[in-house]
Amino acid sequence: MTSAFSWIAADETAEQALVRIYKKRPFLIFPPPFHRLPLRAGNVVEIVGPSPSAKTLILIQAAINCILPKEWKGVSYGGLERAVLFIDLDCRFDVSSISRALQRRIIDANGLRRSSLKGNGNEYDKELFVSSMRRFLYTRCYNSFEFLATLKTLHHRIQQEKGGSAVYMLLIDSIGAFYWMDRALPTSSTGNNNNRKSLSLQTVVETVVQEIQRLLVAHPMLVLATKSAAFGDKQSITEVIRKRPDEKMPDPRDAQNKPHRCFMPSVWQSFVSHRMLLRALDGESKHQNRPTFSTEWLLPPLNCSDHFTVNDVWICSVRIASIFFIANLIVSSFAAGLSLDPQMKCRRKCSAVTKR
Amino acid sequence: MAPLEDLERDYPIIDSNFRMFCASHGIFTDTDFLLHDLSALEAFARQDYAPDKLEQGIKQMISIIESGQRPWLNGVELLEDSQLNKCTLSTGCEGIDILLQGGLREGHVTELVGPSCSARNSLGKVVYFDTGNSFSPKRVAQFLSLLSDPSATQTNKAVERDMSSIVCHSVFDIFTLLDMLRQLMNNLRSQISFQVRMLIIDSLSSLIAPVLGGGGAHGHALMATAGFLLKEIAHESNLCVVVTNHMVAGEAGMLKPALGESWKSIPHVRLLLSGKYSATGTRITILKHPYLASGKSADFVVL
Repeated sequence: MTSAFSWIAADETAEQALVRIYKKRPFLIFPPPFHRLPLRAGNVVEIVGPSPSAKTLILIQAAINCILPKEWKGVSYGGLERAVLFIDLDCRFDVSSISRALQRRIIDANGLRRSSLKGNGNEYDKELFVSSMRRFLYTRCYNSFEFLATLKTLHHRIQQEKGGSAVYMLLIDSIGAFYWMDRALPTSSTGNNNNRKSLSLQTVVETVVQEIQRLLVAHPMLVLATKSAAFGDKQSITEVIRKRPDEKMPDPRDAQNKPHRCFMPSVWQSFVSHRMLLRALDGESKHQNRPTFSTEWLLPPLNCSDHFTVNDVWICSVRIASIFFIANLIVSSFAAGLSLDPQMKCRRKCSAVTKR
Repeated sequence: MAPLEDLERDYPIIDSNFRMFCASHGIFTDTDFLLHDLSALEAFARQDYAPDKLEQGIKQMISIIESGQRPWLNGVELLEDSQLNKCTLSTGCEGIDILLQGGLREGHVTELVGPSCSARNSLGKVVYFDTGNSFSPKRVAQFLSLLSDPSATQTNKAVERDMSSIVCHSVFDIFTLLDMLRQLMNNLRSQISFQVRMLIIDSLSSLIAPVLGGGGAHGHALMATAGFLLKEIAHESNLCVVVTNHMVAGEAGMLKPALGESWKSIPHVRLLLSGKYSATGTRITILKHPYLASGKSADFVVL
């Protein structure tokens, strides 16, 4: 835990401390339409949405923002030049999606129009591409126990990566992937003797949350997790009666009447600090014949939703909500940032240790 | 889920003393070890009368867990693996190949959804798990003779050779399927059987739909287990897995794919076939793909 102690430098002014914090643990702002809240190390963001709704694509965009450098050969990319860890629990990740998106981002940042490059093929800086891809670390787990084993040995793995300060993001694709398999785990029928922990969804999720919390204390990172949601399945039969074919698309605020069912145990739900909800919009709002999705922050609750559409590996925002809600944004993000300050947590824990 | 006694053979540090210490904290198997708080365990070990051996035992357990894990790959290594091992298999139909940018990819689990009598059964070869007795060798031979070169002398031999590379099994329930998949995975790992490029499960939905539903979680758990097993086979052995699904009535009388919401997150690629099985052509639409936008479609004709 030496890196955790060394973070607390003894003699420095508040200004020096702030400068150091903003340099080592910078804010990350996603490209629109997910730009409403700045996120930083220690935040646990959950991206909820039905399948398919571009959740993995959002993770990939966030990863690209992190692995690209801030500047390379005079061109500014605005990245953080830090490594990301991607734990694939859905086991559906295809490396082509991130490689294409990264190529496109590099080409766009260089200001070269893709149409004019048709002769050359895709001309881009391969050295930059390779050095960025090296910062993307990936593993996959086929069941909960492999996931737990990965989390337990992650600390050691992060230490190998340039002394542990280089990793800034932990991406978990589909935290609810093993939900059904864990629910059907055989519970021991021999009773609770020998204080043995019963194998169940609850204990598995508790251990997962505990391990991630421990990891965040030693290596503060931004955690992004996707979760696929079931939208009021049982109620959908009654919803059909209300909706007629000649009716316009219901007001987005009406969509909140169909709340998503959160199926993860409450220990995970209370661990999450930010929650973003994605929905697929209905047929009439198709933009250029591609399905459109809406995104909305549930935690902290911002009363605005943005629309976007997906074009292969790129997200194009279609409609951004008005500036009227920015005041709400400032207040909520300030409140969220204060209550979840990892430095305060770290200091409290360290002072508890030294008192002993 | 191995009990700790089994580990003593290979790792003598996990002796009876260590096992008694673990048992006092409720740890009997390696999965119990995973569920437990390791730093708390280490703290208890330090207060014990033989701290060094216990700490060494805990470290040994952690290194056993680490060695059993998959290694972390970085982006460059992933790309190399993808380019070397995971080629695209042509579906034999140009329109579909263009839509999918090459064809069906190895390492992907592709789901074909469509109402019955669409062209679902007409694509594919090699290991075939047939659940509805719908596999017809004559039809496959017909396709092969159309695809190969029209030279009269060689056609029969080529067709025979291609037909012999198709292995067909009949499967009628989900437990047999899981069993056969595990067997296939073991065979592929130890490379006993021939090189399999593709695995087709015709009508996975007819195996899963009977167990799904009802109050218990077992149906969904079986579906999830089958899904993860297919994904593991596809990725580790570089196979292309194709499963088919049927459609059921959904909201407002529209058809939707069967197997519900939880199935949607299992296949890599979901393709919807619509339109009757007729000479005017069938339309194939992408419902979900890792790097192609959904909504794209193409028309093709089944001869």
